[in-house]
Formats: sequence, structure tokens, C-alpha cells
Amino acid sequence: MAPSKDKGFFTRRDFVKATGAAAGAVAAANILPSKADAAGKDRIITAHSQEPVQYNPLLYVNRGTENGPEAAMFDALWDMNEKGQFVANLATEVPSRENGRVSEDGRVWKIGLKRDVRWHDGQPFTAKDVAFTYETIMDSKTAVRSRSGFDLIKNFKTVDDYNVEIELAEPYTPFLWSWQEMHIVPRHILKDEPDINTSAFNSEPTGTGPFRYKSRTAGSHIVFERFDDYHRGAAKVKTLIQKTVPDTMVLYGQVKTGEVDYMMTSLPYDRWDEAAALPDRTFFDLPLPWVQFIYFNCGKPQFSDPKVRKALYMALEMQKSLDDIYLGRWKRTFSYLHTSHWAYNPSLKEETPNPQLAAKMLEEAGWKVGADGIREKDGHKMKFTMSTTAGNTARQGCQALFQQNWKAIGVEMEIKNMPGSVVWGEYTTKSQFDTLLVAWAPIVGMDPDYTARCHSKFIPAKYGQGSNYVQYENTEVDRLLEKGAVQVDRQGRKETYMEVQKILLDEVPFAPQGGVFGGFVRNKNLMGLKPNQYVTDSTWNIQDWYWG
Amino acid sequence: MLHFILKRLLYAIPLLIGVSIIGFGLMHLAPGGPLGVYTLNPTVSVQDIERIKVIYGLDQPIYVQYVSWAGNLLTGDWGHTFFGGRPVFTVILERVPATLLLAGLSLSLAILIGTAIGMLGAVKRYSIFDYLATTGAMFALSFPTFWFGLMAIFIFAVELRWLPSGGMYDLGEEGNSLDLLRHLILPTAVLSLVIVATWSRYSRSSFLEVIGQDYIRTAHAKGVPNRLVITRHAFPNAAIPLIALLGVQLPFLFSGALVTETIFGWPGIGRLFVDALTMKEYPVLMGMMMFTAIFVIIGNLLADIGVAMVDPRIRLE
Repeated sequence: MAPSKDKGFFTRRDFVKATGAAAGAVAAANILPSKADAAGKDRIITAHSQEPVQYNPLLYVNRGTENGPEAAMFDALWDMNEKGQFVANLATEVPSRENGRVSEDGRVWKIGLKRDVRWHDGQPFTAKDVAFTYETIMDSKTAVRSRSGFDLIKNFKTVDDYNVEIELAEPYTPFLWSWQEMHIVPRHILKDEPDINTSAFNSEPTGTGPFRYKSRTAGSHIVFERFDDYHRGAAKVKTLIQKTVPDTMVLYGQVKTGEVDYMMTSLPYDRWDEAAALPDRTFFDLPLPWVQFIYFNCGKPQFSDPKVRKALYMALEMQKSLDDIYLGRWKRTFSYLHTSHWAYNPSLKEETPNPQLAAKMLEEAGWKVGADGIREKDGHKMKFTMSTTAGNTARQGCQALFQQNWKAIGVEMEIKNMPGSVVWGEYTTKSQFDTLLVAWAPIVGMDPDYTARCHSKFIPAKYGQGSNYVQYENTEVDRLLEKGAVQVDRQGRKETYMEVQKILLDEVPFAPQGGVFGGFVRNKNLMGLKPNQYVTDSTWNIQDWYWG
Repeated sequence: MLHFILKRLLYAIPLLIGVSIIGFGLMHLAPGGPLGVYTLNPTVSVQDIERIKVIYGLDQPIYVQYVSWAGNLLTGDWGHTFFGGRPVFTVILERVPATLLLAGLSLSLAILIGTAIGMLGAVKRYSIFDYLATTGAMFALSFPTFWFGLMAIFIFAVELRWLPSGGMYDLGEEGNSLDLLRHLILPTAVLSLVIVATWSRYSRSSFLEVIGQDYIRTAHAKGVPNRLVITRHAFPNAAIPLIALLGVQLPFLFSGALVTETIFGWPGIGRLFVDALTMKEYPVLMGMMMFTAIFVIIGNLLADIGVAMVDPRIRLE
């Protein structure tokens, strides 16, 4: 046997050979043409960092994620456009008093339906589908996420195949939003389902939307194909694909390489400038429906006095938190609405930070600095916790800043973050928290109605209904909210809600920090997108997208 | 051997029951729950949450929920997901092939390469190769997997554009083996890297222990060529602890690689687990736990059989 071979069972030569073979394999893979840039102009690839798992528009939970399949496959009676106006979709026109479809007292709604609409399987869309959708929403066995607005329906009447008449128990102006948020499902497919919650329809649905379901690869993507008989005209592209790319930076990378045409997930703030400079991509930012707040639990002794809450709010460096932590991308707001919302009260002014005045107000309210440097009153220390979703580094940064701000005026805040499934469970809904750092959208679409959040009847810890988790009670706010919910003219409503916003800023049951903005990237040649601050779904007009 | 296997499988039954009870109990006793996600939807009120709680049976005492779940499982019904209403068994099974492919390939490659490096390092102890291998292993173990993943994507996908940045296939190329190969290269390389590093350390120390034994010295003294000493005498003995180790690592084939799958958008079981854990999808988490427990039992059983086959001193009784 040759001596060289006896030196070892794996020689240097063998190693070099093996390395060469491996390099060859990589090179072979490399010379295969990349498919990323070979995408035809007959398809659009969108991508989100979360995977949609529920395609039934009545049953999904994740707004934003599952809005994509919903917009592709389903229609609502009317949509909300980028100007904040309702526009008819399945309905012939948006009901109003002017067109005679809403009664003078606002309780009877007459909805006419288009006659040329077909489901993806060719069956005609009729009033029975709308009635079935309503019945399904109200069925106690349906895990529908919300019945908001629908629970006010006293009588639902199918007049004929293309007309329905709805009688409300009381007038409710945001009722338009209720229907805008709930897309119509097919009666002929679902009526015999023993359990809609586990129906196969939820994974392979049939809608009336511009695209029909074609296939899904678990964890990867969903393929939709154009529905040629779409009632608003066939979509401009043949195929729509919604990919799931869990890591946002990888998703951004795929937009850059051309593997993705439109990024549905907001880009990290530190990448906005870079994205704006990309040569073949278009970057845009827009207000998202959420506003971030500090929620004060008014049921706790530290926060029962509005003056104390106001003082705590005034000690905070709100603008600095937005500039330093959100890199100035978010806009300061003094209300539960974005400053660009039609009902926003422009007379609200910045009052933060003013630690001297904050300390004085606490003194006046009887909260004196104790021996340990912490304020106290009637045996209660001004000590509390603040909770949000653990791992949200931006919010943690805000908490650290607020902690410092409060410490300077003798207030001790302890950060107590928990996983989302914990902090947003009964800890929130049963008002067990001291304070929360949370971003929430308005209650019913982008309507300024805020009844469920701050009407005294809607404190779940007391009455088992609503979402007034801060346990705020103010009879004047109650009155204004009741008034706004039945007012019809926009100017009148605006004045009512401006007053609500003023009181809320005076009494601060929740301290507004900033309006959330998102940054999105698309292929420069992808046209037709209409950024819309009034909806959570950036693909809301997907039927109009096309390649330029 | 059949008797041994049957006995071990019988022992597995109470083990699985115990695992399911403990798992179910801990999962439900932990604070929070699947309905927390509803609270973040502003249209959802407390009445809505209470109603949905009843529909999912979450209002029942834990033992009632467990008996219901276990009873259904005995009839082959693994339950339905809360968010999507799909059969849990299908949801898990549709992710298994992707994970088996990625984890199986990475594990196989890593074991082959890691064993070779470890073996070579032991045979050429304190050589330049040994130092390089040791340093390389330390380097690979010191950096987090996501860093390697992001670097690989940045260099090979974004900058050089040689390879795709994620997913299993290019869209429209499903079933194309060459396309699959291109998508496999980066995640397999990243996932293998860490396993190679650990496995090379295990195999090096195992080989070092064996090649210091008297029978190896005797074989050398008798003039047996070095290659034969290594392959016929040292390797089988050094492999015994490695086989046992492999048995413990087999469940990895099922549980997948959470980080690698997330970074590369690989549609495997690891991602499903992360999503299910985030949403507290109890039925999916329970299903995955039972699958993993079964894999652990099978892995250990196979390891015992493998060791017995390699080591004549061991008899399966």
C-alpha cells in the first residue's frame, strides 16, 4: 500500500476534491436563472410578515394580515375610499337621508343591491346572502369577532331578491361602518354547514371579489386568480399572490431583489430613508388607524382624580419620545384620532413636558413627597406599574423615558411587560392593570364614535360590556357620545366629537402619545395603489392595481 | 428484539398520557390565553370575548377541557385550530415534509461533515487542522443562527443575487427539484453550520477517548494500516455514544429549527410552532407536543437498537 495513503483515511487531496465538488454544486445552482426578476407583468406579488389563516371574512381576528385575502375574494356592501367617503360596492348606493334610503329618524335603512353580481361559482348574489350574513353574525354559535352595530338591528326584512330593509332599535350613524367591515358570505354554500367555525369554506372560500381562491401552500403563499365576471370589471392582472415572509428585514430584502412587488408590512423606521432612495422602488408613508396611549386605570386610587392624571401626563416628554424612539416618523396627536382625521379637534394644544407645573398640580391634589422621595396621599404611594407587550423594544424605550420623567416629580413607575396573550387578556379586559402603553384604533372603523371606549355604561369590569378598560366616568362625555352616535350631518358630529376630545384631554383617562404611521415599499411600476388612512387594508382597491 | 420493541412501546403509553396531562395543565395554567388577541381588535367588546370563550369551550374547567381533548384524540380527532378552524392533524402534517427535508438534510450533512472533522481532528490532534476546526467550531457556536442567516441572505441573495432569499420554491416553480435545491442551499448551510460545530466537538472527544485505548495501540503494533485502524477499530467504538446522541437529536427532525425557518421563510413546523405559541393556539400546541413526544420515544428506541447493533456487548432483552 502506498505510504501516502497510509497517513490518514482522508488526505488533503481528498479534501480539495470534496471542496471542489461542493463549489461546483454551488456554481451549478448559481447559473440557474433566477426566477425573481422573471416575473411576468400578469401577476402581482404582495407579502406580509404574518400568515393569514382564516379567509372567512366574518371570522378572522388579525386585521391587516387577513384583510389581504378578504379584499381579494370578498365584497362589502360599500367601501371606504382614500378620501374618507363611503362608496357603493355590492349596494347600488350608500344609504343616506338625502337619497331617501335612511328614514328621518335614522332607524330604518333601505339597501338596494346590484343585480349583476355573481359568486365565483357562477351563482347569483341576492338579498338572501345579505340576510344570511346578518343571521350568521348574530348566531350565538358563530365565533364572529364582533357584532358591533349589528346588535342594534331590531328587524331585518328581505323585501325581494335585490332589496333589504333594516330597522334599528335606535339610530346609529356609524352603522355604515359596521357593514363596511363585514363582507358578505354566500348563503348557498354555507347554509347547510353544521359548524361554520370549522367549515372547509374558511380555507377555500367562494366570494364575489375580484380574485378567486386558487391554491395555498402552507406557511408560504396563497394564489388567487382573476375573476373575469367581477361586477366592477375584471381586475387588471391575471394572478395575485400573497406571500408570507416572517422576518421583516428579509421581506424588505425580497422587495429589493424583485421577489416581492409590494410590502404589506410596515418597514422598520430606520430603513425609511434608505427605501426612499431605492431607484426602482417607490416608498410612501401614511397614517395608520392606531394612536398610541398611556391608559390610566381610573379605578385605582392613584388615578381616580382627573387632576392627578393630567399632572402625570404633563410630566412626560411626549414629543421627545416620538423623535428619539420612533425617529420622528409618528405624528404627535392630542386625541384618540390622528390630526388628519376629519373630526380631529385642531384647537387642542401641546402641554407636555411641564414637570414644574405637574409637580405643583400633584402638590395641590394632596400628593406630597414622602421620606423616600415618592409622593403619597392617604396611605397610598404614587407607585404603579406600566404594561405592554414584552419584546416591543420601541415601547420599552418609551417606558424607560416616561419612568425617568415621572421619577423627577416623585412618581415611581415599574415596568411590568408580559407576553401579548397575557397582557391583552383579562389583565386588560377586567381592568387589572395600573397603566398600559397601547396603540388602539377607533372602535367602529374610522368613525369618531368612541362610546365603547369611554362611556360609563361600557365599563366591562362593572357591567360586563364594552371596552372602557380605563373605567372612565363622565356624565357630560356620556351625553356627547350618545348625541354623536345619532347625529347625521358631518359638521354637527365634528363639533360634538371635538368637545369629547377636549374633555378627554382635560381629564386624561388615556394620555395620547402619537398617531402611528407606516412606511411601505412597492415596485415603481406597480400602479393603482391608493394609500388610504381610513382602512387597515392597504390592498383595499386591489382590483385597480396594474403594471405601468 | 421484537419483544423488546413491544415492551418499550407499551411503556410509552403511560409516558404519553403523563406528557399530555402535564403539558395541557401547564399550558392552561400559564397566564393569558388565545383570546388576548381579540382585545387588540377595537371592534371586539368584552361580550364578544365571553361569547367566543364559550364557543371554544374555554369557559369549562381545565379537567373537563382535557377529558374532551383526550377523548377526541383517542378517536383520531386532534381538534381544530382556534384561528382558522382547520383540523389540527392536517395543519401539522402539511408542514412536516418541509421540515423533514430541511432538518433531515441539514442533520445528515452536518453529522457526516461534523464526524469527519471530529475524527480528523482527533487523529491529527494539535495539528493546524485541529486548531482551525476548534476555532471554527467556537466561532460558529458563538454567533447566533439569525446572524448567520441574515448575513447569508445579505451576501448571496441581496448583494450577489446568486440564490433566493427565502421560501421553498420560486412562485410557479412548485415541484421543480432544481429550484428546490437553490432554495435549500442557504438555510441548509446555516442550519448545518451550528450542528457541524457541536457534532465535531462530540465526535472529536469520542474519537480521542477511543484512539487512546489499548486495542488501538495493539492494532498499530500489529502493523494494521492506519486507515483500517480508524475505520474498522476506532470508528465503531467511537460511534456508540454518538448513536445515542443521535437518538436524542432525532426529534429535531420534527420540531424543526425555529430561527432558521423564520429567517428563511421556510414553511415548516418550526414556524407553525412560533405562530401557535404567539397566539396560544392550544389545540396546535398540544398536537405538536404529542407529535414531538412520539418522536422522542421513537428516537430513543432507534438509538437503543442502533447501539445494540454496533456494540456486541449489549443485548436487547
